[in-house]
Amino acid sequence: MHFLIQVFFEAGRMIFEFDPEVYFIVWTSLKVSIGAIFLATIFGVPLGLFIALKNFWGKDAVLMSLNTLMALPTVVVGLFFYFLLSRRGPLGDLGFLFTPSAIVLGLFALILPLVTNLTISAIQAMDQRLFLTCKLLGATAYQQAWLILREARFGVTAGIVVAFGRVISEVGIAMMLGGNIKGFTRTMTTAIALETSKGEFQLGMALGLILLLVAFAVNGALFLLQREGR
Amino acid sequence: MNPAYVVKDLTFSYGERRVLDLERIEIPAGEVAALVGPNGSGKTTLLHLLAFIERPGSGTISFFGETVRAQNALAFRRRVGLLLQQPYLFHMSVLANIMLGLKVRGIPERKGRELARRALEAVDLVNFENRHARSLSGGESQRVALARALALDPEVLLLDEPETHLDKVSADRIEEIFLRMNKNEGTTVILTTHNLLKGQSVAHRVFNLFRGKIVPAHPHNLFKGKLTEDGAAFRTDSISVKLPIPQGEGSYLTIDPTGILLLPNLPDPSIPNTFEGRVVAMSEENGRVRVEVEAGERLHLLMSDQASRVHQTELGQHVWLVVKDSAITVLA
Repeated sequence: MHFLIQVFFEAGRMIFEFDPEVYFIVWTSLKVSIGAIFLATIFGVPLGLFIALKNFWGKDAVLMSLNTLMALPTVVVGLFFYFLLSRRGPLGDLGFLFTPSAIVLGLFALILPLVTNLTISAIQAMDQRLFLTCKLLGATAYQQAWLILREARFGVTAGIVVAFGRVISEVGIAMMLGGNIKGFTRTMTTAIALETSKGEFQLGMALGLILLLVAFAVNGALFLLQREGR
Repeated sequence: MNPAYVVKDLTFSYGERRVLDLERIEIPAGEVAALVGPNGSGKTTLLHLLAFIERPGSGTISFFGETVRAQNALAFRRRVGLLLQQPYLFHMSVLANIMLGLKVRGIPERKGRELARRALEAVDLVNFENRHARSLSGGESQRVALARALALDPEVLLLDEPETHLDKVSADRIEEIFLRMNKNEGTTVILTTHNLLKGQSVAHRVFNLFRGKIVPAHPHNLFKGKLTEDGAAFRTDSISVKLPIPQGEGSYLTIDPTGILLLPNLPDPSIPNTFEGRVVAMSEENGRVRVEVEAGERLHLLMSDQASRVHQTELGQHVWLVVKDSAITVLA
């Protein structure tokens, strides 16, 4: 018990004394997570909107594939992109491996099916009269899509927040594609894994607390947004 | 002037199920027309086709003399306004809701705001512009949706059962607004209703729809049954009606409510289609008296106020009904 209190105390000290190593790791984590979320939003939301609103041949197969990809293990994504970005890989010349960009790419691939699928669900859950009303207003197909997305914004935002939760707490991809390089690609999760294996619990605990705090802040913002919209 | 709509040889199906099969309907511009029929008769589907949000399976629709095609449906859609039975209002203010249709037409913000305010005035909701649309009552929502349609200055206003889901005061208000639009602006109005008397009271022209077809009969006195006596009579669960002309096939019988005579005493027994019954409901509709008589089947009659007074018709009264030959129609 005494040891646990000591760890907590030390972690608190590192947070409140603005330990540069702690905050650099936090910054790296936020940077790669926000980058991946940004990419997944600009690609996944329009893709989800298209799949939800259009009827096309093979739509069921696409939906089933997206559901399967949602359960994709992170190490499989990490492995795939490792081969792709390694020296001998087709994208080796980009020199992305063991950089924050590689982590962003891997995380983006991980959550794209999630953001797409949750956008589809949010659109399909909308009142059927909405689709009819958009047509009745004389909106073009693009204007209809925009109006529908605007109405489904709370559901879509909730999907993005779920995806953020997944990337901020992800270890496998960050470890395999980032390499856990101190002062460069070390993220909160990879640092926690490393420090714990070394028996250095203080830093790991400090990062764990900040990780929880970030998750709390993001969910709090979503809660306020949804309450505002009601 | 070209008619507002000419519908020719139109069919519409949901999958294998045909819901509309219309030979010809013509609705003159500047009139109020009512599409009357029971649930499932195809009224709402026809209204959606007239709003150009559904495409007919076959046949044509002409709008003010121009034939509507899939490629130009959007341009025609922008010339009509449809008020849904239960309208959808967006998660935004009342004013923003009304401005949406104007925005998608590229009307500048300032002009749009002015038009939206004018539409709110037309539906007597001047102080509602900053209210959140989701905080309104059913009647207020209906009026906001009507204002949203009116702001677009439609040539035709389509209303899907405007009296359903509303209390009488709100329904009367909606009716007053669209009748005023018809009278003052010359807007063609087409509404659906399951109540023929309502249709007759507000419309210049009434179309009775039954199972996707225009029928010359009243949906209230509509009975399911079968032909008997080699097609010379029609039997429902409770009554048998002699047919003026023997029929080859028919599974529905309709009786025009204006073609039933109500008599206080037993008429000549040799007169066919005489039924004994009891008055169970009476109401005044559009200057006429609506009487419902339980005579095995419940029969609806429409009679003049004068005739009602002559016979001193009252609730619970024992009466005899004589159905005129011309009031009887058999449907396949």
